[in-house]
Amino acid sequence: MPGTPLDPAGIIRRAAQELTPGAVVALGPGFPCLMPGELSPGGGVWFLADGGALGLDAQRDPASSGDAVDGSGGAAVLRPGGAFAGVVDVAAILRGGHTGIAVLQPAQVSASGDFVHWTTVATPGLLAPGSAVDMAYGAGRVIAVLPHQSPDGQPNLVSQCSLPVDGAGQVNIIITDVAVIGVGPAGFELLETAPGWTADEIAAITGAPLAVSSTLKEMTFDIPDLPPPNKVYASAVAALEDVPEGSVINVDGFAGPGGMAHYLMVGLRDLGVKGLQLISNTAGVARVSAFGAPNIIDHSILVENHQVVKATASYPVSPSASRPSAFEGAYNRGESDLEVVPQGTLAERLRSGGAGVAAFYTPTGVGTLLAEGKETRTIDGKDYLLEMDMRADYCIIRGHKADTLGNVVYKGTSRNFNPVMATTARITVVEVDEIVEPGQLGPEEIVTPGLFIDRIVLRPAEFSPYL
Amino acid sequence: MTSVPEDTGRRGKVFPSAQAALEGIADGATVLIAGSVGYGVPEELLRGLAETGAKDLTLVCQGDWPQGPGRSGIADLAAAGRISKIISPLPFHPENGGPVKELWQAGKLELEIVPQGVLAERLRAGGAGIGGVFLPASTGTRFAEGKELRRFDGRDHVFEAALKGDIALLRARAADTLGNLVYQGSGRNWNPTMAMAAALTIAEVDQVHEIGGLDPELVITQAIFIDRLVLSA
Repeated sequence: MPGTPLDPAGIIRRAAQELTPGAVVALGPGFPCLMPGELSPGGGVWFLADGGALGLDAQRDPASSGDAVDGSGGAAVLRPGGAFAGVVDVAAILRGGHTGIAVLQPAQVSASGDFVHWTTVATPGLLAPGSAVDMAYGAGRVIAVLPHQSPDGQPNLVSQCSLPVDGAGQVNIIITDVAVIGVGPAGFELLETAPGWTADEIAAITGAPLAVSSTLKEMTFDIPDLPPPNKVYASAVAALEDVPEGSVINVDGFAGPGGMAHYLMVGLRDLGVKGLQLISNTAGVARVSAFGAPNIIDHSILVENHQVVKATASYPVSPSASRPSAFEGAYNRGESDLEVVPQGTLAERLRSGGAGVAAFYTPTGVGTLLAEGKETRTIDGKDYLLEMDMRADYCIIRGHKADTLGNVVYKGTSRNFNPVMATTARITVVEVDEIVEPGQLGPEEIVTPGLFIDRIVLRPAEFSPYL
Repeated sequence: MTSVPEDTGRRGKVFPSAQAALEGIADGATVLIAGSVGYGVPEELLRGLAETGAKDLTLVCQGDWPQGPGRSGIADLAAAGRISKIISPLPFHPENGGPVKELWQAGKLELEIVPQGVLAERLRAGGAGIGGVFLPASTGTRFAEGKELRRFDGRDHVFEAALKGDIALLRARAADTLGNLVYQGSGRNWNPTMAMAAALTIAEVDQVHEIGGLDPELVITQAIFIDRLVLSA
């Protein structure tokens, strides 16, 4: 006689063992929405609902809720440091690869990792997956949580799904009410059994061959402590010392000094790392423009230190021919390469890089030199150019305030390229005037959610942006 | 962009009623309706839309997902026979059903399913002047069937065309008289994207502030996207 199947909370407690500190976790409707409630409040995991709540927390005080909704349509509570976003931002977070994990409740999972979401099965003839497709394809790892059998006793783990799939080969691990099962190239592998269940009993209710792991063990339900990772670094140099030679680096800022991470630029200069490829609206014209100052720190300090081999920029030259920028000099001497991109296309290419859009058709530049070598396409009678996404290894941006989780607010027009650049790099470092505790920046005012920010540096009070 | 008719009796873009703001909506219009599961849904504008008598509408929306026991405006529009098609990731509650499901099953309403993130991106493209995008999501599923596939970075991508509406109906917490908007919590959802993607955009709000009454750092939808405002009763 097998043991009792786990209840949904038991499944979710076991699933929570798969989480890591700082993980960004998308939760689909159904069982997954129980997960924040099983963890300690205010922990170091970002739970994301498809409706736009980032940072779902344990439901401590339902009476205080009302603003946030989880993936099942239930009232939810945000953790201190949680933020709201629109669905297009959620889509970008998912598709852009910013979620490490998606927890979904399929109705069926196949031995090759295909799945059919429960809402698809519940809408026969229509097959509506909601956001399950986006979550599955966006996340690095997909955890399927579901009962091992359907209510009428049919296996939910099958050789091949019986309905059109919502994800092909997307599921990595399955946690049911009786077992933990890995999905690998050879199909299902039984990793853990629920208390009271044997491998044979589980295989008997599984609709596909089930290999048994040599390290088979019984499931446990303790959830590890998941503290938020420390993102605050002591100095610009400390935050940037692992930047390798040849890195592609987003540098924020417009034309003048506003919104520029001067302190981080100095750190990068002091580290002396060579071969940098900068992506930036200008390649450093604040020193030579009327709205800057001759001694303002800009990209020029990196160019003059012979660290820059290429710039991708919309405005790489000085407005005054008699006062060329440092980059113009380097370019004219053949030290640096240049790719000119119109400003809006630069922003859109960066946004695409952060949002998982591989390429897009824009009308900007049709019929100009900028169109050379690019595909053109007529859509609804209008001509467009195909432009590719753009991503970076590192990004240095300038915020006004950050909390210790990495949520950022900006000040005035210094917002400019910062929020979009923050989404496109493997490592994003922000320089701020003030670091505050989570909860001190309101969920409606946060512009860049902390899940995009890896490192935070306080600009020292004595630091001057002038040479 | 449809401009606001000149009317010196009006306070900025604020119209006296939902019906007044919805005047002139043509049969066959594509209407973007923001909101999800009772959050950020322009319910008064939906009631007003039902009263205009406009029919044969195509809705782009999250679907008929009322919060609590009440009926949603989308369900009422469907029941009144005004909707010919809904484009949505999940157009009715999978367990509770409702008029949208019943009409679809009776063959009186067409439903087109688009995964949520794909729909959001298509609307964003429409609002941002992008003709179309190549997205990685949904390769290998029915959502990629019949569409152009192209390989980027070793991974298949699906071409998705931009999507625009004739009208967008939004719900925000507050506006100023110029039409700058702030939202409330998860009620932000589809609102900022749909605000950009329609020829005529109407927002239903709880409060209308004078110019300067909203902090410029907190404005989510800029006034240039908003044509008409209606104060929620």
